[in-house]
Amino acid sequence: MTFQTACRLSELAEESAMHVELDGEPVCVARSQGRVHAIYDVCSHAEVALSEGDVEDGTVECWLHGSRFDLTSGKPTGLPATRPVPVYAVKVEGDDVLVDVESEL
Amino acid sequence: MTVGSELAAAATAGPGAPVGGPGVRKKTGSLPRVLSRDPEAFGKPTGREEEWRFTPLRRLRGLLDGVPEDGSVGVSWESVQASVDRIGMDDPRVGTALTPADRVTALAMANATDAAVISVPAEQTDALTTLVVRGKGGTAYRHLVIEIGRFARATVVLDHVGTGTVAANVEMLVGDGAELTVVSLQDWDDDAVHLGAHAARVGRDAKLKHVAVTLGGETVRLLPTVTYAGTGGDAELFGLSFTDSGQHHEHRLFVDHTASNCRSRVTYKSALQGAEDKPEAHAVWVGDVLIRADALGTDTYELNRNLVLSDGARADSIPNLEIETGEVTGAGHASATGRFDDEALFYLMARGIPADEARRLVVRGFFAEIVAQIPLEDVRDRITAAVEDELVGVGL
Repeated sequence: MTFQTACRLSELAEESAMHVELDGEPVCVARSQGRVHAIYDVCSHAEVALSEGDVEDGTVECWLHGSRFDLTSGKPTGLPATRPVPVYAVKVEGDDVLVDVESEL
Repeated sequence: MTVGSELAAAATAGPGAPVGGPGVRKKTGSLPRVLSRDPEAFGKPTGREEEWRFTPLRRLRGLLDGVPEDGSVGVSWESVQASVDRIGMDDPRVGTALTPADRVTALAMANATDAAVISVPAEQTDALTTLVVRGKGGTAYRHLVIEIGRFARATVVLDHVGTGTVAANVEMLVGDGAELTVVSLQDWDDDAVHLGAHAARVGRDAKLKHVAVTLGGETVRLLPTVTYAGTGGDAELFGLSFTDSGQHHEHRLFVDHTASNCRSRVTYKSALQGAEDKPEAHAVWVGDVLIRADALGTDTYELNRNLVLSDGARADSIPNLEIETGEVTGAGHASATGRFDDEALFYLMARGIPADEARRLVVRGFFAEIVAQIPLEDVRDRITAAVEDELVGVGL
C-alpha cells in the first residue's frame, strides 16, 4: 500500500475528471456527487482516455462511443464496452488527493 | 546448400539518412495519406488515427519513439539454390517495394543498420530458404529483402522465435513470371512485441503466396501489402492466428491493384481464447483492397473468419473494398465472427467421438485450408501441433 499524491482537490472541480500518471499507469481521477474516485484511464473497449469524458451521477462517459463506467465499481453501464476497468484506492488528506495504484479494488 | 549464422551485436546506431522528402498523396479512401522513409513525416500516433485505433500503443515499448537498438536478434539460415547476403540500407533494392506508410515502419527502416537479402537468380527453380530470427531480448530493428529473378520459383520461411521488441520490415520483389511462397511464422515467446510491414511488388504474370501464421507474442502487428508491377500478377495472402488472453494480434492488409488483369485472394482465419478474469484476447484484421481506374479485369476476393472459443476474447474485422472502375472480373469480400458451432460438435459426438476430441477436430478443420497452403510438411505439422497444444492448454 503506497499512496501517492495524484493532484490537489482544489484543482478538481465537482463533476469533472483529470488525467494523471502514477508509476507509469494512466489514472483518471474524478469527482462526482461529493466523492473522489480513481480508475484506470483507458476505456476497456478502445484506446481512449476516460478522463477526457463527461462525469455525471457517479459515472464517467467515454466520449468516443458513449460507454459509461461506474466510478465505484469500474463496470460499464452500457455497450460497447463489456469489461470493467481497474478501480484504485483513494483518500483525501486536506487538499491532497492520494491514490494507491498498487491496490486495485 | 549453404548454412550461415550471424549474431548482430548490440548496437547503438544512429538513424539512417532519410531518403526522399515527405510525399503527400491525393487522399482517397484506402491509400495512405503519407508515404515516406522519413519518420518525422508522420506524427506520433495518439490512438485516434484509423491505422492505429486498435493497437495498444502503451504496449509498444518505445517503438513509436524509435528508441535506440539495445537488444539483439540472432539470424541463422539454411538455403538451397538461393543466396543470403548483407547489403547497406542505401542499396537500390531497399525501398523498392516498401515506402513506409506509418511511423513505426519508417523508424524501423531508419534505425536498421543494414539489410539481409535473399536472392534467387532468374530461372532458378526449387529454391528454398529457411531464415530463423531468434529474439534475445531488448529492442532490435531489422530489414529483409527477398528478390526473386524472372521465371524463378522459390519458397522462403521466416521463423520468428524467442523474445524482444522487434520492428522488422520485409520486402518481396517477385520478378516477371516468377513464383514466390513466403511463410512467416510468428512463434514468439509470450512477452515479445513484433511490428512489421511485409511489402510485395509482384511482376508481370508473377505469383506470390504469403502465409502469415501468428501464434505467440504479446503484441504482433503485421502489415502485408501488395502492388503489381505488370499485368497478370497473382497474389494470394493467407493468415492463421491463435490468440490467447493478453495477446494482441493485428493483421492489416492492403492490396493495391495498380495494373490490369491481376488477381488477389485474401483468406485469414483466427481462433481466440480468452478468460473472463484475465486480460482480453484481441485479434484485429483489416483488409483493404483498392482497384485503380486503369486496373481493368481485376479479380479480387477477401475473406476473414474468426472463431471465438470463449468469453474474454474480442475480434475486430474490417474489410474495405474501393473500386475506381466497373470493368472488373470479380470483386468481393466476406467476414464472419462467431462462436463454436454446436451442431458440428453434436454431429461428431453422435458418431461416438468424445467431446474434447470433437472440439479439436472442429478447430483443426477450421484451420485446415490455411495450413494446407504451406508447401513444407514439417512446418505444417509444427503449426498443427502448436494449435492443438493451445487447445489442450485451455481444456478444449
